Amino acid sequence: MYGNALIEKNKNGKNILEGEDPVKLAEFETRIDRGEKIEPKDWMPKEYRRQLIRMIEQHAHSEIIGALPEGTWITRAPGFRRKLGLMAKVQDEIGHGQLLYSAAETLGKSREEMLNDLITGKSKYSNVFNYPAVTWADTAIIAWLIDAGAIINQVANSKGSYGPYCRALDRICAEESFHLKYGHDNVVYLATGTPQQREMVQEALNRWWKPIMHFHGPPDKASQHTEILMRWKVKMATNDDMRQKFLDEYVPKVWDLGLIIPDPKLHKNETAGKWEYTEPDWEEFKRVINGDGPCNKERLGVRRMAQEKGRWVREALLKPNLKYSIPLA
Amino acid sequence: MNSFDPRINRVKLPALEEFKPLEPLQEWETYEVFHQKKRGDQHIHVGIVHAPDNDTALMFAKESFGRRRQTANLWVVKSRDVVPTDYDDQDIFETTPEKTYREASDYYCMDRIRKYQQEHGIVDRKELRRKEKEKASKK
Amino acid sequence: MSYTGQQKNTIKDLLFKMADDQLILGHRNSEWTGIGPFIEEDIAFSSIAQDKIGQSLALYNILHEQLGEADPDTLGFARSEKEFKCCHLVEYPIGEYEFSLMRNFLFAHADYLRFEMLADSSFEPLAKVAKKFRGEIKYHVMHSDNWIKKLGTANDESHSRMQSALNETFNLALGIFEPSEFENELIEMKIFAGEESLKSKWLETIKPILEEASLKLSDEKDWKPSFGGRKGSHTEYLQPLLNEMGEVFRIDAKAEW
Repeated sequence: MYGNALIEKNKNGKNILEGEDPVKLAEFETRIDRGEKIEPKDWMPKEYRRQLIRMIEQHAHSEIIGALPEGTWITRAPGFRRKLGLMAKVQDEIGHGQLLYSAAETLGKSREEMLNDLITGKSKYSNVFNYPAVTWADTAIIAWLIDAGAIINQVANSKGSYGPYCRALDRICAEESFHLKYGHDNVVYLATGTPQQREMVQEALNRWWKPIMHFHGPPDKASQHTEILMRWKVKMATNDDMRQKFLDEYVPKVWDLGLIIPDPKLHKNETAGKWEYTEPDWEEFKRVINGDGPCNKERLGVRRMAQEKGRWVREALLKPNLKYSIPLA
Repeated sequence: MNSFDPRINRVKLPALEEFKPLEPLQEWETYEVFHQKKRGDQHIHVGIVHAPDNDTALMFAKESFGRRRQTANLWVVKSRDVVPTDYDDQDIFETTPEKTYREASDYYCMDRIRKYQQEHGIVDRKELRRKEKEKASKK
Repeated sequence: MSYTGQQKNTIKDLLFKMADDQLILGHRNSEWTGIGPFIEEDIAFSSIAQDKIGQSLALYNILHEQLGEADPDTLGFARSEKEFKCCHLVEYPIGEYEFSLMRNFLFAHADYLRFEMLADSSFEPLAKVAKKFRGEIKYHVMHSDNWIKKLGTANDESHSRMQSALNETFNLALGIFEPSEFENELIEMKIFAGEESLKSKWLETIKPILEEASLKLSDEKDWKPSFGGRKGSHTEYLQPLLNEMGEVFRIDAKAEW
């Protein structure tokens, strides 16, 4: 997902623990095994810091960019209830981005650096937001099923080892419950509404099923890398585990509305206790995440614009001789 | 740009080549935020905001941390003004939980009282009242 | 309290223009959500937009429940451009950030003073709403004042942008106080003390703040209020806005969304 799919292996091929003080490392790992949190000023292995910054930063970018496909429809939301609901939901996404940048900053990367890396394409964000919200019904599907996928990840990660990230995730999970209800409510009204509304939401589901199946990331290859990250509670579950959980919880709910999921192979193998489906196209996933999706250029262009529009405000109020200070927690 | 977003169609998106990266501290400095739910409660640390000055920090804190929860009051303090202890010194707090002589639960002397009462034939009044109650309920 | 048909029209005129102002301005402010110039400010602007739309909803509710008008969704999303009574100021596109900030500043002060005056209205539903939203609008004023004062004086660029924004918006803002045909009735019925009175309070309030912000107002003899909105005569910007706002709603106005 935000980070699970995008955790990179150490490029030099070196052992990721090379050069780390074995005594400190042992203390660090014992602390995590005891279920204690690691706080910003604690000693931590370089790889732990690097992976966490990457993961939290990418999660933050996903929230900020995630505001854009749904934000498309704020000015066109039908009726007061939906207008207010969508505005509040999208606002929350920006708020979550803010909370997550704050958590990543405690690890030593400044918000300026993170925003620059987003705009230049150096840092990634969740692939799913590189697709357009073509109709109003698309926003309903996104608000329900994409947020559902995200919640499954967030609940798992909130039990991870890094204090600031866990605290941010707790706050985020509490707000997400409204998002899920809003999204579900929206889909229900469309699915149980006029034939035209029903058609709109079915088409949206057809469009979004592929990105939804991509959401939790490619199947993890068993590696020493994955093993260490799970031991350090940076990665809390495999991508496939998260995907299975999502399918288990939400496919029945989609079917309950009489909507058709555009994968004829999708069914639960009761004996194996696992969902079976058409394997998603991971080549497309790779292409899109590396810049070749329908909306990548637009998404980053919009962030550039937002930053440019605010330049004069930021520069006007900048204090001279200010020194950088890492936030505390 | 032909976008699905009418807002985006109304503006001109700057090209990547025109992009000037943010310089350090252009996102201003950070303030730690403390939130009080209702009068009588403690203020609790809830996170940070980036802001250029105190007033703006309070305003941003209201939005980020007072927008979705009950709020009576907020404090903001510049991150650089907060003085923390060192986690490396966490050991100075280690023996605190052991000092049970400061806990009410460390004080138990019922056994001593009973022993003395038995040795000196003192009637325990609580015991007496309990027996009378029992008698009354049996009638 | 029971009102004659004519008295009801008087009240409706007031409520429609207030609700329309807030809906359209809230809608414009919501266009910044996700593309604001600074993350925390993006969140703040969105709250202000939601507040305004919530306030307009409360007023449309009074029009529906107490005065026999259609339900709020119909009033907000299905009326024609001529039926809207908003002032020109709120119709303009969002422009650069300084435009939106200055527009909010001028409007928020007028709104705050209007609601303060309405807290004593003899029309009880309106007095209730005015009291209820006082805190929200107070925050809008605080938000605006903060930026106007700081950016008016920070550096040459911010000063010149804020001054241009003031020059662009001031005549439009004077359109808020376009007198209605019912001014005398409103005053006699003690529903509202009138646009003239509101305007003088507004000028009294914003002048010192603009001065503190080093921003200059033109001479009164040069003022050209942008009137017409209250009588259904709008700028070129309102129709496209209404088309966009109603785009999904109008797919099927009878459908439940």
